[in-house]
Amino acid sequence: MAERMHASSMRRIWTIAFREFRHTVITKGFIFGALVMPVVMFAAIAALGMLIGMQMTPVVGTLVVIDESGTVAGFAAEELTPEQVAKDMQEALQRNSTLKNWPGGDVAQQATASLPSIDVKVESVQDATRVDELRAKVQDGSLLGLAIVPPELLNANPKDAEGNDLTYTLIVPTRSAPRLTGMLEKSIAKGIVKARVQRVGTDYTSLKALLALPETSVRRMSVEGAEADENVLAKTLLPMGFMMLLWATTFASGQYLLTTTIEEKASKVMEVLLSAVSPMELLCGKLLGYAMVSAVMLGMYGALGIAGLIAAAMGDLVSPGMLILMLVYFVMAYAFVSTMMASVGSAVNDLREAQSLVTPAMLILMLPIMLWLPISEQPNGWIATISSFIPPAIPFVMVLRVTASNEQIDTWQVVLSLVWGFAWVGVFIWGGAKIFRVGVLMQGKPPSPRELLKWIRMA
Amino acid sequence: MTTSAVNLRAVWKRFGKTEAVRGIDLDVPDGSLTGFIGPNGAGKSTTIRMIMSIIYPDEGSVQVLSADAISAKDRIGYLPEERGLYRRMRVMEFLKFMATLKGLPAAGLDARVNAWLERVQLTDASKKRCQELSKGQQQKVQFIASVIHDPELIILDEPFSGLDPVNARLINRLIRDLHDAGRTIIFSTHVMHQAEQLCDRIVLINRGEKILDASMTEIHARFDPRTVQVEPSSHDPADASRLGALPGVERAQWDPERHAAELTIARDVDPQSVMRAAIALMPVRTVELRKTTLDDVFVELVGEAMPSSEESGNG
Repeated sequence: MAERMHASSMRRIWTIAFREFRHTVITKGFIFGALVMPVVMFAAIAALGMLIGMQMTPVVGTLVVIDESGTVAGFAAEELTPEQVAKDMQEALQRNSTLKNWPGGDVAQQATASLPSIDVKVESVQDATRVDELRAKVQDGSLLGLAIVPPELLNANPKDAEGNDLTYTLIVPTRSAPRLTGMLEKSIAKGIVKARVQRVGTDYTSLKALLALPETSVRRMSVEGAEADENVLAKTLLPMGFMMLLWATTFASGQYLLTTTIEEKASKVMEVLLSAVSPMELLCGKLLGYAMVSAVMLGMYGALGIAGLIAAAMGDLVSPGMLILMLVYFVMAYAFVSTMMASVGSAVNDLREAQSLVTPAMLILMLPIMLWLPISEQPNGWIATISSFIPPAIPFVMVLRVTASNEQIDTWQVVLSLVWGFAWVGVFIWGGAKIFRVGVLMQGKPPSPRELLKWIRMA
Repeated sequence: MTTSAVNLRAVWKRFGKTEAVRGIDLDVPDGSLTGFIGPNGAGKSTTIRMIMSIIYPDEGSVQVLSADAISAKDRIGYLPEERGLYRRMRVMEFLKFMATLKGLPAAGLDARVNAWLERVQLTDASKKRCQELSKGQQQKVQFIASVIHDPELIILDEPFSGLDPVNARLINRLIRDLHDAGRTIIFSTHVMHQAEQLCDRIVLINRGEKILDASMTEIHARFDPRTVQVEPSSHDPADASRLGALPGVERAQWDPERHAAELTIARDVDPQSVMRAAIALMPVRTVELRKTTLDDVFVELVGEAMPSSEESGNG
């Protein structure tokens, strides 16, 4: 008898779960939102790059430099050759260690490929009285720009009469693109520096080589003595990626759960359902159904992310153990978020009323996002340790910690977070089920948090 | 010996300080068609929800089909007062979903749904989304959802509300067919003549208490007619006071629409003697002993102060 009841109960739960799954996943809204939208976004970003490239006009024209010494223009001209501009950009991008292992390939090479063609002639004028004549040429657009370099600027640490840093003036037409202005500004500044260096009789190339900061190879040594490469991507961006994946997939399902529960109450279908199933079976069915929805999203985006890492030869950043832990924390995170959303959905009449009840919990759940950097930089620091025991943020913080691969988390902390976290999941499900049981039949004024506690005691 | 489809013993249900149901004992005989009547907020829907195990009593016991209410869920059909459908689901899909929830196997479901849609003249609606149906059509779909699994006990809360006369007659016939097929039916309504027409047993609930539980035959015997309507040939309203002076008449009222006097007879007086005295007193067109209606019983038991039965909703 008991077995038959259990079987019929399971049948009802699965029937509800399957309906929820089918009517969420096989809908235009889901297909568009979860599948098409990310593709459209990537395509839009790519298209934006292409559009910017297409609108770039060749940089052709003359830059005049008024400089008594007559040396700055020559050096500035060296900086404005297409090869030098590309080289500067590559060096700047390569200095950014985060971009060194970027999954999309060689960023520096891709960026310089998008540069416009450059043909800039730099003229030197030593007669300062021609300023007005040359200004007029800038105004009518026949010059790309006019730089006025005070002679004192070629001295070391030049100051004006008031003791402020001396500046040079660059005059450009109003329509000059900021990118072009930046390029001219930089070339003249470097030209002035080269002229200064030449004045004191030193070779600029040798000096630059001497002043170049050496590259660092950071090696992390574990307490067991093992050494590993420092990888900024692994240390900060990867944990954030994993945590956001968990956040996005559980909250997307939670949002569906909230809205469908409110809809079922508003359309009065709730009582029809409750004539066939118990409130607990309905809750379990809904949680199971949206767990499957969430799992589909996690699987889809997770697989894409891992494929991307493997394509970028960074597959070793993700270990099978890490993925198993990620799955376990996914279950915990989903249980927290979904129970909360289902119970709030059952207690209110519309989304506006739901916001006021969801907001306090959302603030706690925002904790891992706000503390992403300190947690992922120091996964064993006190901020990370304390915040990983605050429900319902536990799974999100722990995912940040366990995926910050350069530091090993103590096993006891992982085990304790699982025991503590799932104990809290039990509390959430127990309280959520009680609120759900009372809430689904309630109409009218939404309950206050105090009334929700009363429902928990009453049910 | 008649067995009970529903058995409630000393059932209490409170919502905060409100006592919605106060110690109700109830036996609904197997195969009966029982009407639940009562004014607004009387506790009818709360009682029904406890029978359906949607909510649970604070005290007392509820047995449905000789089992506890939860395990009997698949054997009960329920049409709630507050009806709802999944608006975007198609009719066929919704009915199959409800049937599956009620434990019907997938095999043969299409044929069963189609047969029911044919019975309620909704054959064309099977592929439509529920939101595309008229209110009356939605009512019929919900009626099917409550009976598609061929339940032993059917609970219908206001099944005719919102239906036009043609569809109301159709549902009326289906309820009779189900009753004739041996199903036990509990039927909650605030329209007395519908209850009187359909039910063979009446349960009247007021302020959370059962104040009447009897078959229609018993009700007619217990609430014997006490009103005699006399239409004098003269159609003169002054005749009402002359008739009011007859022995055994407690009160006489003139009904200007019928041009007749309504005489209320004292409890211990034989109405036949008053009728004979009225004929002897003046020339009359008609003299009629009015049959007791459920409306009269309702007003007598619940009180004149309550809203009229046509206005009152479900409780």
